Order: sequence, then structure tokens, then C-alpha cells
Amino acid sequence: MTTNLQTEPVPPAPAAPPALEVRGLVKHYPGVKALDGVDLVVRQNEVLGLAGENGAGKSTLLKALVGLVRPDAGEIWVRGERVRLRSVVDAANHGIGMVFQEQSLVPNLTAAENIVLGSEGPGVRTGIYRWSTMRRLAQEQLDKIGSHIDPLARTDSLSFADRQMVEIAKVLRIEERTSHPPVIILDEPTSVLESQEIETLFTQVRRLREFASVVFVSHRLDEVLDVCDRVAVLRGGRSVGEVSADAEPADLHRMMIGSTGSDDHYHEGVAVRSDEPRRPRLEVRGLCGPSFRDVDLDVHAGEIVGIVGVHGSGREDLCRALFGAEPTTAGEVVLDGARLDLSGTRAACAAGIGYVPAERKTEGMVGPMSVADNMTLTKQAARCTGPIVRPGKQATLVDTWIERLRIRTPHRGTAIQRLSGGNQQKVVLARWLVAGDVRLLLLDHPTRGLDIGARSEVYRLMRELAATGVATVLLADSLEEAIGMSDRIVVMSDGRATAQIAAPAGAKPTPLDLVKEMV
Amino acid sequence: MSTPVLAQPAPDTPVVARPTVGRRLTSFMPLIALVVLLAALTVVDPGFFTLSSLTAAVRTAAPLVVLAAGATVVVLCGGIDLSIAALCSLATVLFALWLPDLGAVTLAAVVAATALIGLLQGVAHVLLRIPSFIVTLGGMSIYAAIALVVSDAGPIPLSDRDATHWLTLYLAGVLPMAFVVALLVVGVVSLVLGLTPLGSWVRAIGYSESAARLAGSPVDLVKVGAFTLSGACAGLAAVMLVSRNFSGSPTMADNLLLPAVAAIVVGGTAITGGHGSVWRSLAGALVVTLLRVGLPIVGVPSAYEQILYGAIIVAAVALTLDRSKLLVIK
Repeated sequence: MTTNLQTEPVPPAPAAPPALEVRGLVKHYPGVKALDGVDLVVRQNEVLGLAGENGAGKSTLLKALVGLVRPDAGEIWVRGERVRLRSVVDAANHGIGMVFQEQSLVPNLTAAENIVLGSEGPGVRTGIYRWSTMRRLAQEQLDKIGSHIDPLARTDSLSFADRQMVEIAKVLRIEERTSHPPVIILDEPTSVLESQEIETLFTQVRRLREFASVVFVSHRLDEVLDVCDRVAVLRGGRSVGEVSADAEPADLHRMMIGSTGSDDHYHEGVAVRSDEPRRPRLEVRGLCGPSFRDVDLDVHAGEIVGIVGVHGSGREDLCRALFGAEPTTAGEVVLDGARLDLSGTRAACAAGIGYVPAERKTEGMVGPMSVADNMTLTKQAARCTGPIVRPGKQATLVDTWIERLRIRTPHRGTAIQRLSGGNQQKVVLARWLVAGDVRLLLLDHPTRGLDIGARSEVYRLMRELAATGVATVLLADSLEEAIGMSDRIVVMSDGRATAQIAAPAGAKPTPLDLVKEMV
Repeated sequence: MSTPVLAQPAPDTPVVARPTVGRRLTSFMPLIALVVLLAALTVVDPGFFTLSSLTAAVRTAAPLVVLAAGATVVVLCGGIDLSIAALCSLATVLFALWLPDLGAVTLAAVVAATALIGLLQGVAHVLLRIPSFIVTLGGMSIYAAIALVVSDAGPIPLSDRDATHWLTLYLAGVLPMAFVVALLVVGVVSLVLGLTPLGSWVRAIGYSESAARLAGSPVDLVKVGAFTLSGACAGLAAVMLVSRNFSGSPTMADNLLLPAVAAIVVGGTAITGGHGSVWRSLAGALVVTLLRVGLPIVGVPSAYEQILYGAIIVAAVALTLDRSKLLVIK
């Protein structure tokens, strides 16, 4: 019902057909509508931004554009011609190429080999690599983007930013396959770059615009508005409109989340703040690990502390280390006055720590096992008498929690993988609650991939748990979520906790306040 | 924009996929195969379906059942134990060597020794983070060599045949004692897995080790335990073999590796872990044994046996493995 917001504030339709057009694209996954009728137009020689919260359907849309996902319905048109994209090669033949978020280079090959990999052309003659030709081909590509990277350098010896340039050079090889200007998709290209590298990338993007169309995806709204000609917004798998480059980040954000922020999306009403207790429940002192150093962190009972930071800030590893799932080299962690044993996950579980991993499908749950078995996997004592499992006891317990958390499942015996993402996540959360002994919850992107309704329910649950005195560490999916849910926000950068920002209800910082500290 | 953010939770009715007919059939596959085989063999040779030949068949099957039962738990955990046959051969030698000195406690000593070897393999796998395939492949070679060395590369006759006489008796005059022991092993392992949290842990580890670890399951302990059990089963199977052959020999059980793996996969236990059970391996072991005794009945020389095992392992995995979920086949 919100698809009619196609407000067109930007130039009149050009005469030439759009470089790429998407009409009514639909893609369903079990329990999730990833795309629910997306429309998108990429004009020739423009940089189109694509914005949307996590779970808005951006990744699925991009994958559909490069032939990695087959849409259930809808059409893709390239320069006025309808196409069906069955593979990355297919997409490349139509002049569409993508620079992936997770880099797709082979680390132990040279830059040149990577650039021509899969499209060697004259670089291979009678089955034999012709190194000089390959080098020349690679150099041509690097010249296109004005890069001075040595084509004979091993890829893993290059910096992340340089590798990204290699990726762009590589993706531009699709120009050889088509006589038209290509469409280059950049998926979150800036997420791990330093600010100066970002500037170089933007120069590159503007350069690309001279001979190609670019689709640019980023979570950083100011960047998107900076480099793009216009920005299309997705929400809940639908196109909800677009803004021009002169819009404010706040406008764009409002369109992304579909509200003005006045609704109690984060259930602040549920929060019951008791008086500040004397001693923090969790005290982290000088904790060091492979990707973080000298981290100090306090979390009080009933408090939700958000940790924010860019990719590589070390916050995920810190979270895992607190759960004993990642080694630490120095420092100590005290929970309710007792020093924590960080040697393994069992000790953490026994101490009353719960952890919800970011990768729900591979780390959070055991897909083929039932809802009941997943829910009682950790707190086995809750379903046993002595060493013996009591099915009746388990059934009563699990049914109670299915009802309390409003988990939609046909039956407690249903395999958890058949549930929708939100309900899966509730089962994973319930795992820590069934024994009633959880004191600290570590939530790593607990709402990743959930739709807005399911997210709201997870938020409510977090608030209710906090109200009962559970201390929570939250690695939020977005800055907005971190701000909305946290009582206090810790900023991590390069493995250190660099700033603390109070975020009580009614006096929330803005995303920009946080971004300033993050970079 | 008037869209209420806190709309009713999205109507996310769970998608319920019904098990397909094929899926249902594969879950009964070992039993169906067993019945079909019995019927087929009876048609070819009506004399086959008699008490005496069935008794002989299950007696032959007993060591295989025990071997497969132990290794099944390792497979359920997502690993593989390739050392069972070599370890079993070594155990036959040890039994024959130790019997004169240890007498009545030889059985316990042999089983304890193989359990300890299994435990060491488990520890190597877990602590040194070496794939179980490699640990047990290396183990296989080591135990085979030790068996040759300590036996002087030849069979060692039993000094006292009475020591294993009880295994050759028949319960109620029809059930071979060895098979009763095998059933007991399968029953006890199944009960322990079914009645205690161990069952959940083993399945969780097999399906997704990282998820199991992050749920606080005692992953390392369970895996070491599985290898220990597998080792102990190899020792027990060795005693059964000794009771039949009245001697120990450094290669006595070597030809049981393939049948044991075949029994596991024919039973429908997923080679990738998680899905399956010890009962299934019992049925699988019976199927494999029937095929083995059935080959001469239908006129196929027993030299073709190994071809058969190879073929059924590949075929059974092809039928049971949901390869659509595997991104990379290694």
C-alpha cells in the first residue's frame, strides 16, 4: 500500500531507455518475503544510491541483478530489452557486474591473475597461461580506473582499499562482453575503509559515471547522499520512494524506517528503571584479545548497553570473548563479584551468561532439530530428573515459553528451520531463559534479517528482560537500533572502547553524534 | 506517512513442508531392504529361510553389529572412525597374547585398552584440531603395524578355548550369545542416547558443531566419548571374532571396515552427521550380512564381495544425503 510514493523530484525522463530497470520483482524465502514487488530504474551514466534497513531486501535485489537469485515474479530490463539472468556470467554478458561486500578475490594469486580470472580471453592460448598478455590485460583494466597497483603483487599483500580497486578493475572486464556502457553494483564498498580511502573510492565512483552506471549501496546515509545522483529506498521488500542528492540524511532515514520516530518502536515504555545499583553486574577490566585491546566495560543489572563500531572495530570478537567463545590474552571479567572463567562456553553458560550469535542459521540454532530440543539445548537440567530426560517436563516447559514469547510454531516438535526468522530468534532467546538463571545477555545483531514486526517483538522481549534485572550487551543492527534500545552506548574503534555516550530515554543522541566518535 | 510502525506482528505463518514420499521411504529403507533381501533369498533358495541358517547369519553379523554401533556414534557427531577394523585386528592379537597371563579379566583388559586408544584418537582430534578422517586413517595404519609386530605377523592360537566359550553358546537354544551381546550393546547405547541429554548433544554437534558449542554443549567431551565408545566396541567385536576362530590374527578384522561403514550408511545414518541412530546401523549390519551370505546362494563368487560393498556405500549415501544443502563437496 505504500508503493505509490514514487515522488519524482529529479530530472525529466531521458529519451534513452534506462540502463537497467526492475519491475515488480518478487522473491519469497520460507517464512520471509525478501522482495515484495520492487521497482527500480537505473539511468545511463548516473550513480543511483540504494538505501534501506537490514532486511529491507537490498541484498536479495542485488543478487537478483547479478543472477545469483532467481526472482519468483517480476521483470528485469536492460536498455529496453527484457532479460533473464541465470548466472553471474549471464549478468556479465548483459553488462551487469558487482563488487561484493565480502571480497571475492583469491588471496594467493596476483592482482593480474585475479583481474582476468574467469575471463582470461587472449591471456590463455592453447590451454597455456600467457603471462605477458595477462599482465597487459590487467594493466589495461587498472589504467581504466587510474590505479597504480602493481599487477604482479600478490593479492593478500595489498591493503583492503587496494583490493577493492582490484575488484573494480576486475568487474570492469565485463566491458569486453558488451558494446554498451556497463552497470556496476557496489555493495557496501565503504564499510571497512578509512575516511581517506573512502574519498579515493568516491573519486573512482564519479569517474565510473563517465562511462558506466553505478548502483551504490551503503549504510552510511551521508555518504550515499554525497556520492549519488539520487537514492532509491527499500523497506520491507518494497520500493517506498526516492530522494534527490540534496536531501538531508534525516529525511532519507525517515523514509527507510517509515516513521518519524514518534512511535514507541523501541518500547521505552516497558523500561522500568530502578535506582542505579551499587556495583555493576558485569565488570570488564583491560580485556585483550586477537582483535581488541584494553577494553573496560561496565554493565549494570537491568541496563542495556549498546556497543557500536564499524566493521573491524572488534566488538563482535569482544562479545564472543565474554562468552568464552574467543580467546583472550589479558584482562579479567567479573560477573556479580565473581571472576569469570573465559576458557569455554560451558563455563559462561553455567555462570548465567546467554549469547545470541549474529549468524542465527548456522550458529544460533540447530536447524533440523525441534523447537523443543533447541530451546532446552543449553539448560538440560530444566528438562531432566537427574541424568534422565523427562519428555513430559520438557513439553510443559517448552509450551509455557512458546506461549509466553508468542512463538508461532505448529508444534513444539516442529523442526526450528521451518519457522520464520523472528520465531526462530525467539526460540534462540528462550534457550537462555528457560532455567530462569540468566544474568547477562550478549546479543549480537539479534534482529538481523527480521521484519519490522518481529523486530519489535524482540525489542519488547529485551525490555521485559531488562526490567527483571538482566544486564544486556547489544550489538545493534543499525545505529538507530543502538540508540533506540540502549541506556548507554559504548563506541569501539580499532579494538578499543573509545567513547561512552549516555542514551537515556528522552535524551537520546543522534546517529551523527555516534558517527563522529566512530571514525 | 501514516503507516503505523507497531502494526500487528506480521502474519508470518510458519511454512510447513511435509516430508515427501521419498523422504518417508528412506527413513524405513533399512527395514525394507532387510525384508526384501530375506524374501529374495528365500525365493532363490527355499532352504534359506530356516532357523539354522538364520541363526548362522545373525551369529556372523554380531561382530559387525558391534563395530558399526560404536562407529555410528562418531558418525552422528559428524566425524568418521576409519580405525575400527585395524584396531579390532590388533585387539584379537592382544586377546590371544594376554589370555595366558590375565585369564578371566582378559576381555575387560582388551576392551579397556581399545577404549583408551579410542580416547587418545578423540583427544588428538579435539585438542590438536585434526580432522577425524586423518586421525583415524593414521591410527588405522599404526594399529595394523603394531598388530603385525606383536604377533610376529602370524595367527596366535588361543591358549584356553574355554575363555570365550560362553560367546559361542546359544540363548534358549536358538539365539547366539554373541548376537545377544551385540543387541545389548545397541540397546544400551540407544537408551543412553535416547534418555539422557547426550542424544541432543550428539545430534546438535553432528548438525552444527558451532551452534552446539555456542549453546554451551560439552562438544569436546562428547566427541572424545564417541571415539572412546568406538574403540571399546572394536575391542568387544575382537573378542567375538576370537571366540569364533579360536585365535587372534593381525589381519583378522581388516575386511570389516567397508562392511561397517556400509552398515551405517545403509541404515540411513547421514555420513555428514546429526541424522541417524544406532538401531539403524543394526538393521544396516543385518542387510550387509545377508548380502554377504546371499551372494554364494545366487551364484556370485565371493571375490565380488568388495565390489558390492563399494557400490552399496556410494548408492546408500547418494540416497540418504541431502546434497542440495552442501555448498562444497569435499
